Amino acid sequence: MTQNEKRDRAKVAEIHRQLHNHLPPDPALRVKALESLAVERGFVARESLDAWVEAYAERIGPKRGARVVARAWVDPDFHARLLDNASEAIADFGFEGNATGHLKAVENAADLHNLVVCTLCSCYPFSLLGMSPPWYRSAAYRARAVREPRAVLAEFGVDLAADVAVRVWDSTAELRYLVLPQRPAGTEGWAEERLAALVTRNAMIGTARDLSGGIA
Amino acid sequence: MDGLHDLGGKEGFGPIAVTEEDPAFQADWEGRMYALSQTVGAEDWTIDWFRYLVELLPPEAYITIPYFEKWCLVALTGLVNSEVATQEEILRAGSTPQSPGQPSPPPQDIDTVLQTVRAKCTDFSRPQERGPAFQIGDAVVTQRHSVPGHTRLPAYARGRHGRVVALHGAHLLPDAVWRGVEAAAPLYTIRFEARELWGPDAVEDDAVMLDLWEPYLLGV
Repeated sequence: MTQNEKRDRAKVAEIHRQLHNHLPPDPALRVKALESLAVERGFVARESLDAWVEAYAERIGPKRGARVVARAWVDPDFHARLLDNASEAIADFGFEGNATGHLKAVENAADLHNLVVCTLCSCYPFSLLGMSPPWYRSAAYRARAVREPRAVLAEFGVDLAADVAVRVWDSTAELRYLVLPQRPAGTEGWAEERLAALVTRNAMIGTARDLSGGIA
Repeated sequence: MDGLHDLGGKEGFGPIAVTEEDPAFQADWEGRMYALSQTVGAEDWTIDWFRYLVELLPPEAYITIPYFEKWCLVALTGLVNSEVATQEEILRAGSTPQSPGQPSPPPQDIDTVLQTVRAKCTDFSRPQERGPAFQIGDAVVTQRHSVPGHTRLPAYARGRHGRVVALHGAHLLPDAVWRGVEAAAPLYTIRFEARELWGPDAVEDDAVMLDLWEPYLLGV
């Protein structure tokens, strides 16, 4: 069979329809069918699936990105390296990996706000920020972020002044984006770990801007 | 392809369901599905084939079923298409005992998984066979028409004028890779003014940045 015959869109669409119409409607049962098949065919041991879930639930998540941001705030050399080649810079922490082989950090400024979206699917820097938020994958966010970013930001509580320009990054290739938020005033002299606690997931996607609310 | 997946700029959607923090997975089956997506596949699968399989979901399913359920249907359809399993085997999977099956690979603990995640740091760049056609600052216009198959030029940015702001060397070209052909082309970041995309009511100086391959672009 040639490659082209194996990539027939009509055939694929028909398999999709057959499976979607005949599998039980409950997604949990659909995943169970895949899991049974995967274990039976020797793709994976069942207990390994628990380890994958635990890795993303407990160890890989936005706290990783927050550490990177805090390091960039306190270390000018790391800041420069992060903006130059974020994939290499995050390897300092061992955070490189799934979907971060090409990572670009984009920095906010007093007159500039960055916002990240993937309009064609839901591309996200998994090894750095963990699983994407449900709203990030929603049709509403994917449709609206490019067309009316200021209205979307307002729904997140970010009211941008007219003199702050918005740059929306649509992840159409294998580049992934990390927004580098501004360090809040009043945190001079803070240790890296304390700063990291201020950095939110949404700020690293660009749907939050002012991190001073976390200063107690 | 002109599919429902190409959502950028579509109107009529309601407010965003804003959250500040979320568990990694909203339900057990979501976590299982993510784990399976990282461990199950066929030799002829690529990221672009996976994305095209998502785009080929029935449109009514694409727009209504949950994110990880799409991944599940895509994995199952992909396995059938790559002849790893038949439709009939999938429809009775988990309900009746099947053939003796294959031995399980050694189980992975969390540290092995974390190492595997690091090793999934894939490089999609390729050596450049020739120099890029455009340089930083060049004005370009995007192709006007959709192409059959998988492509990564969103409809909202077709036939639009922009400017090159970054060159990334050659990257694997999705339009070829989905078909099982490994080809690369220069990749650029192109800046489109919001007013070019959405009209005069958009805010001056607002912009949308897209990463686009050379075949999507024409000189001006």
